[in-house]
Amino acid sequence: MQCGTRATSVKVGSASATKKVAGSRKAVVMCPGLYQGNHQRVSVSSRGGVLSSWASGGRREVGVRAVIQDGAKLDRPLRVAIIGGGPAGACAAEECAKNGCETYMIERKMDNCKPCGGAIPLCMIDEFDLPPEIIDRQVNRMKMISPSNREVDIGSTLKPNEYIGMTRREVLDDYLRQRAEKYGTNVINGLFMGMEQKEGEKGPWTLSINNYGEGATSKGDKAREKMELEVDVVVGADGATSRVAKIIDAGDYDYAIAYQERIRIDQERMKFYENLAEMYVGDDVSPDFYGWVFPKYDHVGVGTGTVINKPAIKQYQDAIRDRAGDKITGGKIIKIEAHPIPEHPRPKRIEGRVALVGDAAGYVTKCSGEGIYFAAKSGRMCGEAIAQRSNQGQRMIGERDLRVYLNKWDRKYWPTYKVLDILQKVFYRSNAAREAFVEMCQSEYVQRMTFDSYLYKTVVPGNPINDIKLLFGTIASILRANALRVTNGPSVTFGERKEA
Amino acid sequence: MAAVRVSKCTRTNPLRATGSPRVTIRRNLATRAGGNGTTTVVEAKKERKPSPLTGGGTLDGEKALGKDPASATKAKNMGSDLASSTFSDSRWVQGTWDLTQFTGSDGNTDWDAVIDAEMERRRILEENPTPSSLKEKVLFDTAIVPWWAWVRRFHLPEAEKINGRAAMVGYFMALVIDGLTGTGLWDQQNSFLGKVALNIAVIGIMFIGSTKDLDKFKGLWSEATFYDDQWNASWTGVERPEDDE
Repeated sequence: MQCGTRATSVKVGSASATKKVAGSRKAVVMCPGLYQGNHQRVSVSSRGGVLSSWASGGRREVGVRAVIQDGAKLDRPLRVAIIGGGPAGACAAEECAKNGCETYMIERKMDNCKPCGGAIPLCMIDEFDLPPEIIDRQVNRMKMISPSNREVDIGSTLKPNEYIGMTRREVLDDYLRQRAEKYGTNVINGLFMGMEQKEGEKGPWTLSINNYGEGATSKGDKAREKMELEVDVVVGADGATSRVAKIIDAGDYDYAIAYQERIRIDQERMKFYENLAEMYVGDDVSPDFYGWVFPKYDHVGVGTGTVINKPAIKQYQDAIRDRAGDKITGGKIIKIEAHPIPEHPRPKRIEGRVALVGDAAGYVTKCSGEGIYFAAKSGRMCGEAIAQRSNQGQRMIGERDLRVYLNKWDRKYWPTYKVLDILQKVFYRSNAAREAFVEMCQSEYVQRMTFDSYLYKTVVPGNPINDIKLLFGTIASILRANALRVTNGPSVTFGERKEA
Repeated sequence: MAAVRVSKCTRTNPLRATGSPRVTIRRNLATRAGGNGTTTVVEAKKERKPSPLTGGGTLDGEKALGKDPASATKAKNMGSDLASSTFSDSRWVQGTWDLTQFTGSDGNTDWDAVIDAEMERRRILEENPTPSSLKEKVLFDTAIVPWWAWVRRFHLPEAEKINGRAAMVGYFMALVIDGLTGTGLWDQQNSFLGKVALNIAVIGIMFIGSTKDLDKFKGLWSEATFYDDQWNASWTGVERPEDDE
C-alpha cells in the first residue's frame, strides 16, 4: 500500500528532520494560504518542494501538491472524488456537488445492469424524490413458502398506497447519476485503477483512472487514456468488491453469493406475478438464506443465495427452480448473473480522508439482504457530513469529520440491522425454525410490524401486550416445529466462523 | 503488519520460464521495504488469489458436514433419478390432515397419530423436496393440535428424566451443605440461602438437562454479540464524536 509507505518514510525521517522543521516554518509563513493553523509536522518531500520552488524563485500554485491540515481554510473548493456511480456514489456526489465541493464521480459502466432484486422501500421514493416512472411494478402481496410447502400470503394489512417498488437497476442508477451530474458533478466514465498519497497522510490523493471517454462501456472500447486526478477526499462507493477498501486495508467481510436467473415465462403465468413476490425457505433452497421469485418488467428473477456453502450454489438454484414448480414451467432463461453480497460492515470503514459507503462498507441487512436504500442513504449521509464539516467546501476536513457520518449512521440504523440480525439467527437456523417463521407470518400483527419497519425504515415499538403474545406464540411455534422434526437436518449458527 | 515476504514463482510453469515474480508480489516487496527500512527475505511462498466461492464465510471441512442441499437434488444433478418416496397419504385431503380420519378408540381425535403423520410428511419432504403448486396448496397449521397433546407426547417423557435429575442433584447438594455447615435438611429450607440454592438446582436442571445442552449455551453468548462486535470494529481505539458536533 503505497500511501502507507510514504507516511512511514516520513516518520522515519522526521526524527532527524524535526530540527529542520523550525527552520522551514519561516519559509512556510511567507507563502500565505499554503499552511495555516497548527501544524506539527511538515512532510519531508513537500518541504523540499517548497524550498526548491523558493530557490528557483517561482511560487508553486497554491493548493496543488500541498499538505493541508484538517480544518485549514481553503482558497479553492474542497475536491472530492467518489469512486463508483451506483446509488451510494450518486447520492454522495449529489450532496457534495450541491454544497459547493468540486466533485468527481468515477463510474466504469454507465449502463450497468446489476444482478439485483431491485426492490426499494416506500420511504426511498419520498426521501430521494424518485419519479413514478422508475417503478416497474408495485408489489403489494408476498408469499412465504415453508420447507413443507406451507404457503402464507402476506400483504393484506397494506394500505392501498403502500407497496414495495420493483425497479430496474439500470434505470434507477441512471436517474440518480444524471441528477448528480445536474448539480455539478464531473462524471468520469472510466475504471479506477488505484490511488496513492504522494505527500503523506495529510496530502492529496492522486487517483489513477483509465478514462473511457463519453458513453463507453467497459468492455471492448479502444479509447482508453490513462489519467491522473488529484483530490483531497475520496469516497469509496465501488461496491462489494471495492478497490478503495483494499487500498485502505479496510479488512474483509463475510459475503453471500447471490445467484439469479432471469426467466421469461408466458403471459398467463406472468399475470400471477403481477404484483406478487415469492420467498422460499428451506434447506434445499439455501442453508442460511432464502430463494426468491421476484417479478421484473417482463420476466421474473428466480434466484437464491448462501454464505456457508457457496460452491453448491448451482444445486440450490436447481432446487429453487424445482420448488417454484409449474409457476415457471416452460420459461426460458434469458440471463444468469451472480454477485457477492456483504454480510456485515468491514472492520474499518474510514481511514484518513477516505470513507466507504454502500456495499463497499458492507451495509446490507441480514435476513432480507436489502442494500439499495442503505447504500443511497449512506452515500447521502457521507456527502452531507463532508459538505457540512467543510463549511460548504471551504475548509479541509479530516478523519474526525468523516467519522461524524459514521457515528450518525451507526446510531440511526443500528436498531434496524440488529433486529434483522436477531430474526436471522432465530429463524434461519434450521428447517424447523423456518416452518415456525412461516407460521408466525400468518399473524396480522406480525405482518403489520414487518411491513411498517420495512417500508418506513424505523423500528416500530408496537403494542407491548401484542408483543408478549407474539413472543409466546413464537416460542410455541418453534417448539412445535422442532418437535415435529424427526431427522436432525442441517442447522446453522451465526456466530464467529473460523474458516479452515 | 506481517513480515516482508519475497515470493518467487517456484512452480515449473512453462509460461513463467523467466522466473520473474508476479506483479502483486512485486508491489508487496516495494512497500514492505520502505516501511521497515530493512528488507528481510523470510520465505518463498506461492500467493494464489482465493476463488470467491471459497472465501467470505464459506464453511470447510468438518463444519460443512451435512449442510449440502437435499439428497434428491444432488442425485438429480448426477443424472440418477432416485425412486423417490414422494409423499402420498389418504388422510391428507386438500392440503391438510382430515381429522375425521384420525378418530381414536374413544371417539376423540387421536392427536398422537396426527403428530406422527405430520412428522412423516415433513421427513419425506425434507429428503425429496416437492414443487410447490397452486393446485395443491398446503394449509396445515400445527396450532390446531391442542397444547396438552404436545405436552403429553414430548414433554412428559423428558419430564420424568429431568425431575429425577433435579431430585438427585438437589439431594446431593443438601448433603454437601449439611456436611459443610451442619444445617439439617429442614433448617436449610428455612434459610434464604437454602431456598436460593434449591431454586438454582431445579431451574438449572431444567435448562441444562444433559451435557449436550452445555455446548448449546456456550456458543449462544458469542453468537448473540458477534454482530455487535463487527459493527463496532470501526470504532476500536477511536472516540465517538459528540452528538452535537
